Amino acid sequence: MSLEWLMLLGAAAFWIGAALMAASLATGLKWRTEPNAAERASARRDTLLLLGLGGLAMVVGASLPKNQLETAVGDIHLPLAVPNMPLLAWFAAIFAVVGLSRLFGLVGAISAMEKQSRARGAAVWLGLAGLTFWQATRSDRPFEVISGTLPLTWGALLGLAALLAVGFGVSLVLAKSAAQREAAGGVAAHGALILGSLIFAIPFAWLVLTSLKEERDMSNTDGMVWLPRIERQHPFDDPERPFVEAEYEGRTVRATVTGLARGEDMLSLQVERPFILSGRAFEAPKSETKPIQRMVPVVEGELDGTKVVGFVARELEGGDRQVEILEPESMKGRRHDFGPEEVEPVMDSGARWQNYTEIFEWLPDSARGGFTFLWNTLLIVVLSVVGTLLSCSVVAYGFSRLRFPGRDVLFNIMLATMMLPAAVTLLPTFLIFRDLGMIDTLQPIWLPTFFASAFNVFLLRQFFRTIPMELEDAAKIDGCSYLRAFWQVMLPQIKPALAAIAIWTFMGSWNNFMGPLIYISSPENVPIAYALQLFQTDRGGSFGLMMAASAMATVPVVLLFFFAQRYFIEGVQLSGLGGR
Amino acid sequence: MVIRFVAAAMVLAAACLSAAEKRVLTVWGETITADSKGLDDVVRTFESENPGVEVRLLGMGAGGMNPQKLMTAIVGGVPPDIVRQDRFTISDWASRSAFSALDDLIARDREEPRGVRPEDYYPAAWAETQYEGKTYGVPIAADNRAFFWNKDLFAQKANELRAAGLDPNRPPRTWSETLAYSRVLTELNADGSLKRAGFIPNYGNSWLYLYAFQNNASLLSEDGRRATLDNPDVVESLQFMLDGYEILGGKQNSERFESSFRGAENDPFLTGQVAMVINGDWMLGQYFRYKPRLNFGSDPAPVPDDRFAQRGRFADEEDRFVTWSGGFSYAIPRGAKERELAWKFIKLITSLEGRKLDSRGQDLLERSRGRRFIPRVSAHIAHNEWLVETYTAQDSAYDRAFRNHVALMPVARNRPASFVAQALWDTHVRATDSALRKEKPPEAALKEGSQRVQKLLDEVLEAEKYPVIDLRLPAGIGIGVTLLGVAAWLIWLRRQPMGRLARHESNWGYAFVSPWIIGFIIFTAGPMVASLFFSFTQYNVLTEARWVGLENYNDLLNIDRSLILKSFANVFYLGLVGIPLGLAAGLAIALLLNTNVRGMRFYRTLFYLPAIVPGVASVILWMWILNGDPSRGLANIVWDNTLAQWMGVRPPAWLGEEHWTKPSLIIMGLWGAGGGMILWLAGLKGVPQTLYEASQLDGANAWQRFWKVTIPQLSSLIFFNAVMSFIGVLQTFDNIYIITKGESNGPNDSLLVPVYHLFQNGFTYFRMGYASALAWLIFAVILIITFAQFRLAKQWVHYEVEK
Repeated sequence: MSLEWLMLLGAAAFWIGAALMAASLATGLKWRTEPNAAERASARRDTLLLLGLGGLAMVVGASLPKNQLETAVGDIHLPLAVPNMPLLAWFAAIFAVVGLSRLFGLVGAISAMEKQSRARGAAVWLGLAGLTFWQATRSDRPFEVISGTLPLTWGALLGLAALLAVGFGVSLVLAKSAAQREAAGGVAAHGALILGSLIFAIPFAWLVLTSLKEERDMSNTDGMVWLPRIERQHPFDDPERPFVEAEYEGRTVRATVTGLARGEDMLSLQVERPFILSGRAFEAPKSETKPIQRMVPVVEGELDGTKVVGFVARELEGGDRQVEILEPESMKGRRHDFGPEEVEPVMDSGARWQNYTEIFEWLPDSARGGFTFLWNTLLIVVLSVVGTLLSCSVVAYGFSRLRFPGRDVLFNIMLATMMLPAAVTLLPTFLIFRDLGMIDTLQPIWLPTFFASAFNVFLLRQFFRTIPMELEDAAKIDGCSYLRAFWQVMLPQIKPALAAIAIWTFMGSWNNFMGPLIYISSPENVPIAYALQLFQTDRGGSFGLMMAASAMATVPVVLLFFFAQRYFIEGVQLSGLGGR
Repeated sequence: MVIRFVAAAMVLAAACLSAAEKRVLTVWGETITADSKGLDDVVRTFESENPGVEVRLLGMGAGGMNPQKLMTAIVGGVPPDIVRQDRFTISDWASRSAFSALDDLIARDREEPRGVRPEDYYPAAWAETQYEGKTYGVPIAADNRAFFWNKDLFAQKANELRAAGLDPNRPPRTWSETLAYSRVLTELNADGSLKRAGFIPNYGNSWLYLYAFQNNASLLSEDGRRATLDNPDVVESLQFMLDGYEILGGKQNSERFESSFRGAENDPFLTGQVAMVINGDWMLGQYFRYKPRLNFGSDPAPVPDDRFAQRGRFADEEDRFVTWSGGFSYAIPRGAKERELAWKFIKLITSLEGRKLDSRGQDLLERSRGRRFIPRVSAHIAHNEWLVETYTAQDSAYDRAFRNHVALMPVARNRPASFVAQALWDTHVRATDSALRKEKPPEAALKEGSQRVQKLLDEVLEAEKYPVIDLRLPAGIGIGVTLLGVAAWLIWLRRQPMGRLARHESNWGYAFVSPWIIGFIIFTAGPMVASLFFSFTQYNVLTEARWVGLENYNDLLNIDRSLILKSFANVFYLGLVGIPLGLAAGLAIALLLNTNVRGMRFYRTLFYLPAIVPGVASVILWMWILNGDPSRGLANIVWDNTLAQWMGVRPPAWLGEEHWTKPSLIIMGLWGAGGGMILWLAGLKGVPQTLYEASQLDGANAWQRFWKVTIPQLSSLIFFNAVMSFIGVLQTFDNIYIITKGESNGPNDSLLVPVYHLFQNGFTYFRMGYASALAWLIFAVILIITFAQFRLAKQWVHYEVEK
């Protein structure tokens, strides 16, 4: 245990030393560029001090005992250590740091009053730290130091250089010379932006990559397959299991011929694709079927000491596979039975787009190729957007431009409802819709939007209030009714805010999950978000399909974002939410 | 000629009729998959026997233990016609009046070839379909558990086993033998982690139930009125599990090992990571698929020593070995529109004829893939005999294993058929977990669980002591009070001294805000009053409501206190750690994007995109990234190649490991932090440039400017965000529901959050009273937190002076 904490100390010293070295670069730069002699001298002193301290810390840190993992002798290993403790202990550490900093602040305090307040603060924080720590020791999670060493490879060196550069950048930004700061600021900002956007983009990339992979490449114990590959296939006319295309219940299917039925002209068929119909047996006149080639996997293995490539002509009992050899030329056409682990499929680079089409093969007829889901979602989205815009703008207008007794009371009640969790009204609302006979329809999902929501009304009211009263008064003098004044004069003024609300509502209702989960029971009424979840519960095991489905559910919103980006960002900035 | 005409007309009429009368039979809990040809064959047969009928199979999250949608559909009046239901919960649903009794139909069609006859089924299977003397389901599938042991590993360790006085050629038969074998077969690494586990008591599929059944322990009293989860026999069984884990270095050590397990061809039993395992017959097909030549034995699971020796309290026991059997049944929900048709379908699919049809279909499918068909155990006695005869009469390990399972069926016990079956199960899982982790001693853990179940038992058994209330009365009063209130308001309005123009304006004002007022009354105020009222009742919509006073609140705060505390602790964790991180990340992004660098549009898009990915898609993506398997999940692939290499830290199982589930959720949330960026950007644009210039003149550096100018200027926005985010986090639901599929609370309840708990009680079981009380508790917590935040805000939030 104590060895581990020593290791932690060593690692901390090492990395603090590295940070000091980085800071010395910045002061060093100042030392070389500063015009003022006195400043230069001070910068020189700082640089040497930082270098000395940093170097010392690094040497001491690196020489403190490391754990047994380290075996290499000649190589350079950088110490790494991280304390592993309960969350509460981390909180305790944070509190302790704050308390200690207050305590140090005592020295710099000017007045007695300040001294007192800082002392009080320090006491409170330290007390809190002690209390949290005590609570933390009661949990069963261990306090330990996870330590190891980072071998100084090229990658690690690169990382270290990056760390130094970041430290350098930070100290430059904090530096006092304006010119340095500006230059460094730009570089640092770009660096951080690139790094950040990479981090944010990686999950997307992973989504797309996964959606294009073969199922067998999802997991690979010999190392990850990063780029999508596809199994090579070979067209094969199997004389024993002919493959045909035929019509079945109005759908074109691909089926295996299992025999002749009722004379020579009728074939007994068993459907293979689409998946939802696979295994169905039916009969069709021979004239109405079209023979097609079956695509079978190509595998490679070893036969009589030579590497051979061939296609699987037949799956045999017990996992054996009969392979007809394609390469080398000398053995072509020869057949051989391989055991289950004697052959490996041949993989080519390429993307498996079939993941995207195979989803639709799983959908029943009632989903009409997924259009039902899309249609339901669109219905909800359009009606919700219309409902929200209409009701919220009308109500906001009433609250902001018209005077009536009880207005402020009502408005405050409305604001208070923002705090009310949906959970409170969820069950009774369900019963209301049940009594209205609206269960398993889309109405419970969009109908409430026609009755205004507090947040949007609040937003629009802020907006209405920025419009000068004179505009409306002028219209009224011209004999405009309130309705017309609202519709023709006021509404056009708040278009940006309406756009922002429309977009939020669009996204909210596109993603609405709990509503359909509660109210929808039949597949004809399921919207996309819920369909995706149902698809996950039914076929969560097929990762490629899941990722492809997720990607498809994402595309429409992303497209909307690209087209309406201006409104997304400007609408909000204009809407008066900024800061106040 | 005439005949021909008539015939044509008839065909035409029949076609019209069938087109007009296309009847749909909806079955929930069954899904067509690549491996369900047998089921499909039965459906096709049924459709061809009943022209004009379409059978629609839907998963709909049903079929498991917690059919999410079933109750909402039944209560909403749109139930499926048939539901395939985990059998031991049948009485649970029957007690809620969710299913309709089938006795009239069974009696009527008893003599038909396809009739349902109780004696055709194993007693354990049939017993589970009964509730209060009536039958609510027909068994379709059954399963049971046996002991699998890896013969190769036994042979490898033959010398050591012999040295310990154990025979390497046979499996252990008693509990103490099991521990002895496990001690020899378990191998540890140098650092104490497991290399191979001899026997993991709760891995595979045994649960405490199996050991309790072996120990003749009863979980419910004979009359079903008392929960006896804490009786000494159960405690003893739990102690056996604890002893088993002791050999493995404790439950936690074993869990770390288990988190490295993979499925399919890398199943730990196939790879030899686990030498002995208790598992169900459903594993045989899977094992066969990947290792058709696996050298293993399948035998009855070892039993308490006294039982095997048939001495002590087991002296009169006939069955040396026992197992337990679960499985599925078909049930007809209450209010199903096609009851007669549903019954016809059930008769076909559960009859021997239907079962054979199914098996033949599966056999054909497997053979077309070049594989042998390994059947699953059936609930139908004759079907099992036929399966053994037709498919598994050979002399291979798999044939023997299947025959062993069939032979065990007559000694199978069933989980207690009670309306608290599900609660008993959930509670026992929770109690086992906390006892094995040594959070609580076994007696205490079981006692706590027993009390919770007792409470649920009393709720129904002693319901009569609470008065029934007619809901029309309070509803009428509510509507009356509302109307009176509106009338009073109108009178008050008329009394206001106003000029003609002002009155005109006032009328229009009310007209404009009327959508909100109507919506408020119908969708907010009314439901609020109703839910407050419900919180004092016991009501499940299908049966009458009873006034229970503060009983629901008592349940929440006393009996379920540890659960409720845990659920709030979980959201507070998410809030206290997640919100500051989220706010900081959003602000950091906004600060970066507020600089004047080139390509801003591009960066802005990239940072914002994650926020618009639909929630379901985003959770699915992250579940994939955070997959615990280091050969699948991106996070663990990276971890495996960095931290694991440098520091020897094993990657966590993320969503599969108690202490990592919430950090995983926070990471998912941080990915969408760009969504908040826009507000921050707007805020930053609103900070007056003059302030920066002034501070710069005073010699402030960037760091100081950020803390002394930017933060105070943004403080009101930070405050607004913090308050709204906290209200949002307290209502976390969607992502947890998607992660757990509505079936669990995450490892050791680490994903249990209040709204999810409410949803499970409210919409899965329609415990309206309990759920409403919980809703008000959540509301109270939100109010307290928000109030506290406003109080604290005075100290740090800086408001512009109103001009």
